[in-house]
Amino acid sequence: MQSQHDHDHAHDANAAHRAAPMVDEISDFEVLEIAVRELAIEKGLFTADEHRRFTEWAESIGPAAGSRLVAKAWTDPAFKARLLADAVAACREIGLDWAEPTGTGTPSDYMEFRVLEDTPNLHHVIVCTLCSCYPRPVLGHSPYWYRSPNYRRRLVRWPRQVLAEFGLQLPPEVEIRVEDSNQKHRFMVLPMRPPGTEGWTEEQLAEIVTRDCMIGVALPRPDRKADDPRPVQPARRPVESTSANRAAG
Amino acid sequence: MPSRIDLRRLYDTGAQLAPAVHQPQNWPYEVPHDRFEAYMWPPHDVAGQADIPVRYEEKEEEEWELKTYVTCEVLGWKGIWNAEERRRRGNNDLGLSLYYGFPYYGRWIWAAARMLVDKNHVSLTELLEKIAEVRARYGKS
Repeated sequence: MQSQHDHDHAHDANAAHRAAPMVDEISDFEVLEIAVRELAIEKGLFTADEHRRFTEWAESIGPAAGSRLVAKAWTDPAFKARLLADAVAACREIGLDWAEPTGTGTPSDYMEFRVLEDTPNLHHVIVCTLCSCYPRPVLGHSPYWYRSPNYRRRLVRWPRQVLAEFGLQLPPEVEIRVEDSNQKHRFMVLPMRPPGTEGWTEEQLAEIVTRDCMIGVALPRPDRKADDPRPVQPARRPVESTSANRAAG
Repeated sequence: MPSRIDLRRLYDTGAQLAPAVHQPQNWPYEVPHDRFEAYMWPPHDVAGQADIPVRYEEKEEEEWELKTYVTCEVLGWKGIWNAEERRRRGNNDLGLSLYYGFPYYGRWIWAAARMLVDKNHVSLTELLEKIAEVRARYGKS
């Protein structure tokens, strides 16, 4: 249910969060972010160069890497076996190194990653009930709804219903397995290759493996190269560079 | 039985209701009809918090949010704090008011500022002076 909820309505639970200040004016969180970063540099806790290095990495990640893993697994059974056996090692085959950008990975993603294979009778979907753990190196930054208490608490209690709210209605004979990510283990879903893609190249296949398919709230379809449209709340001052934080497409 | 649309409205109302334990007077003398109805059709709840469908929407990332992510990560990379301090204590163990009152990365940068003070990397005065200086730099009174 993408609800008939009227977001201009006075009862809008999020009205307070949406009260957008004037765009020109710097927000309190922007001030705090600048203050903390500058103090840390002034005190020698890290250098501006280290911050920039990490930023470059953070802007370079996105779901395209995950799409490539899935497409390669669909076309190369030996690679799929390696991906399921040791996903971090298999990532290196497509040029993705979980040790980036520090040499030992990011401080919160570590280097522990597992790929969950869907079958005709088993569907996986990922969540982080504690906070927002997400396989950033392969999927980029998590969507805001993935971090929301609503998704986190409801997916584990009402998985079938929540998936239906995303537009994914699974028949009762398909078991749904909710994998709870955490600080030490990151997961990604390997969906089944859909019919109607026979003879496709890896590049063609990768195009239909959207971010939502790898979270598990959607299934790949030959006629869909982007996640189903969802309301988008624009940023006041969006990240300026690259495609890093855009939804998968 | 309310219609689907009415039920949705009642759930929206019901989701706003919480025990008014902060009111010096415990019980209201009257309850408006729409609230009475909402009490009659309570949504699922988790420990008193609404457990009802919402519209899952995308939120474009703010520049300061990406920078906050990077700052918190680099502080971890350099060993200034560890994941336990950052995740469990700093970002999450804030009390309900702050946890639900801030945007997601708002909690992160708040936690980073607190950590710098708690671990004596900066004094509270230095932090407040820096905040005032940044505000002034960007023409914010």
